[in-house]
Amino acid sequence: MAVSSGPVTGSLRRDDGLLRRIVTHRADYAYVLPALVVMMVVIAYPIWFTVDMSFYKTPASLQLRDRTFVGWKNYHTILTAPAFWSVTLNTLIWTVASTFFAFLLGLGAALSLHREFAGRAVLRAILLIPYVISAVAASYLWKWLYHSDFGVIGALSVQWGFTDKPINFLDNIHTALPSLIVVNIWREFSFAMIMLMAGLQTVPEQLLRAAQVDGANAWQRFWHVTAPHLKGVSMVTVLLLMVANFNSFIVPWLMTGGGPAGASDIWITHIYQIAFGRQNWGLASAYSVILFIVMMCLGYFYVQALTRGDKGRPE
Amino acid sequence: MTRRNDPKGPVKRLSAMSAAVRTAVITGIAITPGAAMAQEAIDLSKWSPEYVRSIAGTGKFDTAAECAKTVPLDYTGRVSVWYTGPADAEPEITKKFDKEFWEAFKATYPNITVEAQSIVYNDLLDKLRTSLLGNAGPMVVRLQILGGVEFAAKGYLQPLKPEDVGYTPAEFWPGAMKSVTYEGATYGIPTNNETMGFIYNAKIFADAGLDPETAPATWDDVVAYSKQIHDKLGIAGYGMVAKQNAGNTPFRFMPQMWAYGGAALDENLDAPTLQTVGLNSPGAKAALQASYDMYVRDQSVPVSALTNTQAENQAPFIAGQLGMMIAHPAEYAKMVDLAGKATGKDKEVADEVVANMRYGLIPAGPDRRAVVFGGSNIHIVKSDYVEGGMDEMGAKALICFWTSPEWSTKLAWVGSNPGNLRGFQTEWMKERLDTIKFLDVTTSMLPSGIPFPAIAEAPEIMNIIIPDMLQNALTGKMTVDEAAEDAAAKVEALLGGM
Repeated sequence: MAVSSGPVTGSLRRDDGLLRRIVTHRADYAYVLPALVVMMVVIAYPIWFTVDMSFYKTPASLQLRDRTFVGWKNYHTILTAPAFWSVTLNTLIWTVASTFFAFLLGLGAALSLHREFAGRAVLRAILLIPYVISAVAASYLWKWLYHSDFGVIGALSVQWGFTDKPINFLDNIHTALPSLIVVNIWREFSFAMIMLMAGLQTVPEQLLRAAQVDGANAWQRFWHVTAPHLKGVSMVTVLLLMVANFNSFIVPWLMTGGGPAGASDIWITHIYQIAFGRQNWGLASAYSVILFIVMMCLGYFYVQALTRGDKGRPE
Repeated sequence: MTRRNDPKGPVKRLSAMSAAVRTAVITGIAITPGAAMAQEAIDLSKWSPEYVRSIAGTGKFDTAAECAKTVPLDYTGRVSVWYTGPADAEPEITKKFDKEFWEAFKATYPNITVEAQSIVYNDLLDKLRTSLLGNAGPMVVRLQILGGVEFAAKGYLQPLKPEDVGYTPAEFWPGAMKSVTYEGATYGIPTNNETMGFIYNAKIFADAGLDPETAPATWDDVVAYSKQIHDKLGIAGYGMVAKQNAGNTPFRFMPQMWAYGGAALDENLDAPTLQTVGLNSPGAKAALQASYDMYVRDQSVPVSALTNTQAENQAPFIAGQLGMMIAHPAEYAKMVDLAGKATGKDKEVADEVVANMRYGLIPAGPDRRAVVFGGSNIHIVKSDYVEGGMDEMGAKALICFWTSPEWSTKLAWVGSNPGNLRGFQTEWMKERLDTIKFLDVTTSMLPSGIPFPAIAEAPEIMNIIIPDMLQNALTGKMTVDEAAEDAAAKVEALLGGM
């Protein structure tokens, strides 16, 4: 069976038409057609539907078929609402802080576990627990650890004399978001650890030895030998963490519901509330489209990072 | 679909009677509703724990005979229904009655094919919304008390009055009938109704120097008692619930707001227009101030109130660390269950709490005594949106059966009460009162029940705007005045279609 009908060369020019390329590679496209159709149905159609819906007013008292076209009004409403900016700030803090510290902690754990020592396998398994545990279970676990009246952390802090009364983690507008970020970092650092441990396998041992022979100290070996080799995997890890954090829902929703007073409300929880709490599908769709654009930008960088060095390869 | 009898005869007769009966309820005159002319009259003006006990078991009802007047027993057809049936964790008796209900309906209407789907509470609304978009809904759906408004507003529901299935509006609580009335038309029939009570730990009251046998009479008392308990014992006095995006929050805050004379709109009036915003009224601000006083000034309620649902109050209550809270009729059974699961020293404490558990009426305020009128209603979906077409007679037979005195009592056994008032006269109600502790107290709150406003925007007002208002005030993000005005402005904008 022919896999490709035409000669495959590295000289296919960029100005070749899409149609011509499809004709040339018709067999290849035929193979992926079923998958493309499925993706059109389950991905492309919902995206189109959401974009379309974002231009309509959909009050709770009307059926969707009775929606009214309002143009860009939903976008205007979003961008002029004070809540948008506070939710966006919360989202940025949540995403950047979670990503940065999860990566940093994951890197530390990966470097520690890269060396041989007794009990390494056990420690690696233990450090993987936060990643494999369900987000729902983790949220409830941490909710009780943090509980402002009967939480374990609060009780220990009182018992050990650090505080007079239990620390208010989740019921305070200044501490709720940082407390949730800690939970998120705890859940995600294992992922960074796994990725970076895989990356560390690619660092040539002889380079590290040569650097050591040349008198480089531990920091210099890390900075000048290890870090450059981790650059690719680090970029992918950071982008995946950012995408995951922008889309985070379970932890903030279950632990605080976006509260108190919106202090831990991030984009996804806000969109969920508008859609399912207020039944305002048009506004929620407009929010989702904005989030989609942000995610696409991140996705672009992710693909760039993944395909770096692929440009010279034949199609 | 086969129709073998004209049901309009008895319906017409009952409809004619209903106006007089409704007048009687409103004026507090003793009435004998619907088909139970032979039974002793139910007088809502006398409603009290003693009265509820006195009428229980005084009536005999024949469900099949009553429903036969609407749909003949040999009717051949089908009915599809979605409802929230008993969950695995629910008591065996609930599951038993659910099973017996379907068996009894099959025995009474052997030629009606039933397609029943039990859908968990949290999924039912979303599943119904989705299915209706695809014209794939059921003929009949039972929803929580305010769930139907959205669908009535969107035109998915068929008008449905008690008269349509052989009953009269007077056989149901006026508050319950308000919850199925949208823009003057009736879109459903109440299946069960409940109101919450106020539970407290008598030992904590005694230890704090309060009368252990007297529940706080007013909300001002709650504020004072909560402070006294906290100051003397170092534990939380009142179990406030103020979580954002949580239905538990308005169920506990609105009774307080109504008691002080406030309201979300004007749902506290006998004839609400639902077009006036009441969240910035002096009464609403007074209620918010009382919450502020407990949370911020006195710090006498759980710090975790801002992230607590009612479920999170159960643990401190059974551990003897919480003095009082608004609670569901089934809360006693829950506490007994929790005590049964406790071990060692925890069990000693839990058993002591159960022994000292007391139910009282929800406190009154300067304006009134009030509680949220809860429960469920049953609806018929318009033919256009039903998968496989509508069989109206089949649907009405099921609804008549479900809302009968017998089955509206049995199906509400543990956590609610019969939607049909005549259910209170059944032998099964007597059995419930004899076996379910404090049931008489919680049922006696029913006349004080106020349903949430029956408008499509009510879920947003109750579950989002009001909890936001509370959190804005309690976190200090806004003053009490600012929080109330902010919430009122949001409701104004919402009702204005912005």
